[in-house]
Amino acid sequence: MIQLFHVFKQYGAEAPALSDVSLEVRKGEFVFLTGPSGAGKSTLLKLIFCAEPASSGQILVFGRNVSRIRPSGIPYLRRNIGVVFQDFKLLPERTVAENVAFPLEVRGQHPREVRGKVTQALRAVGLDHRAAKFPPVLSGGEQQRAAVARALVADPALLLADEPTGNLDLDRTFEVMALLEGANARGTTVVVATHDRGLLARHKKRVIALEGGRVASDGDSVRRAAS
Amino acid sequence: MHRLVLLLRRAVDALRRGPFVTAVAVATIFVAVLLTGIFAAALGGAERLLSAWAGEVPVSVYLAPGADLEAARAAAERLAPGMRIEAVTPEEGLRRLRASLGDEASVLDGVGEGVLPAAVEARLPGMSLAQARETAARLRQVPGAAQVDFGATWLERLETLLRRGRRVGLVLLGLMTVATAVLVANTLRLAVYARRDEIEIMKFVGATDRYIGAPFLVEGVLQGLLGGALAVGALFGATSAFLPWLRAALPIAGRLSRADVLPGSLAWVLLAGGGALGLLASALSLGRFLRRV
Repeated sequence: MIQLFHVFKQYGAEAPALSDVSLEVRKGEFVFLTGPSGAGKSTLLKLIFCAEPASSGQILVFGRNVSRIRPSGIPYLRRNIGVVFQDFKLLPERTVAENVAFPLEVRGQHPREVRGKVTQALRAVGLDHRAAKFPPVLSGGEQQRAAVARALVADPALLLADEPTGNLDLDRTFEVMALLEGANARGTTVVVATHDRGLLARHKKRVIALEGGRVASDGDSVRRAAS
Repeated sequence: MHRLVLLLRRAVDALRRGPFVTAVAVATIFVAVLLTGIFAAALGGAERLLSAWAGEVPVSVYLAPGADLEAARAAAERLAPGMRIEAVTPEEGLRRLRASLGDEASVLDGVGEGVLPAAVEARLPGMSLAQARETAARLRQVPGAAQVDFGATWLERLETLLRRGRRVGLVLLGLMTVATAVLVANTLRLAVYARRDEIEIMKFVGATDRYIGAPFLVEGVLQGLLGGALAVGALFGATSAFLPWLRAALPIAGRLSRADVLPGSLAWVLLAGGGALGLLASALSLGRFLRRV
């Protein structure tokens, strides 16, 4: 699903954000990407998501070398990837339903079909009764569930979540993680970037630890250390 | 079909959400189209006046002393069929000159009646300058013709002036189009910037640049059409108010109608120009932003 070979990423003259990163995430896996702030977690997700190019090295997503994808082809790659952000990135002047409908609308799906899928996605995250509300009136947990619904509504093969529980209390964290695990159970490959050691301890998943832009460990060692 | 409806709805929604930017863009395009329209209308009106003047001025054939006026008149009728031909005796010529001088007619006191040459005048209301020139050339064959005159010098000077005015107008139009496009583009860039979060999220969920850009372009066209329509409306109002005044001040402008100054074709061109200006400005503002996001 995702393969990285000797990937470097450097911003200007600063120290590399990613240095010689090689890893593989297989189809259907649930992987935690962890490390302290500045370790390169978000940068790695951005490279996978084609938000930024790698300085060197090769990245294969769905078997395609992303450095060889033309800018006009990137949107089509992204349509197979759902993304969840720590700050939710919901549009405040659009209703929850309109926000969730976004990925379907950009695919040009018929409004009737969009309505059906949005209702289904909101029901899955327990927000069907909040569909007509605007994000600012929702709690943090509700907003993140709406963001998860938006990421999953188009049934992506890959879900990337960057600190999805960073702004949530423990109960809301459980809710969101349950949604991500549910998506994974239905076949979606999930990569969650987090520095929350408690989260790693609670979920028995593969953990890739980054430190100073390098892969420090890959497996369950960090989870064990956290435990 | 639903994509088109969705596109229009997104564009109209965006216009509603940013009324200030919309108003500024519409106002800028309005001023640009209005200035262009005023210039084009003034030029068109001046050309019409020139034609009217040429039509009013008779082509006069002055005869050599002793020439047969009646024979000259008959020859003129043959040479310029369809035109009103009039034989003017030296006495009639002097009377007309006195009348045209009005209060200054006394300068002619003591001038003998036979001092002016006999003449044949050819008139055709609405005759163009080219027609007058052609008629004058033909009337040179009138037996006894000494000189043919139709006020060519000043009419040609006026025509040259208008030709230059047209060239300057085209250059000004080009410069103004570029300046306005840049100005409106900067205004619309504010609109694009105000919606950068929306654009960023659209990109994250897989929207193509075309999907993101299309509503902005439609918005630009709608703003341009609105600005253009307001400018055309203002021009119609201005010509309605200005023409009666011009007709009263300038007798030659008596036949000048609103259609002469602001023909329907010019109104449509201005309207379409507004739309095109909005489209160009949107494309300029969007292109750079999308490449950056």
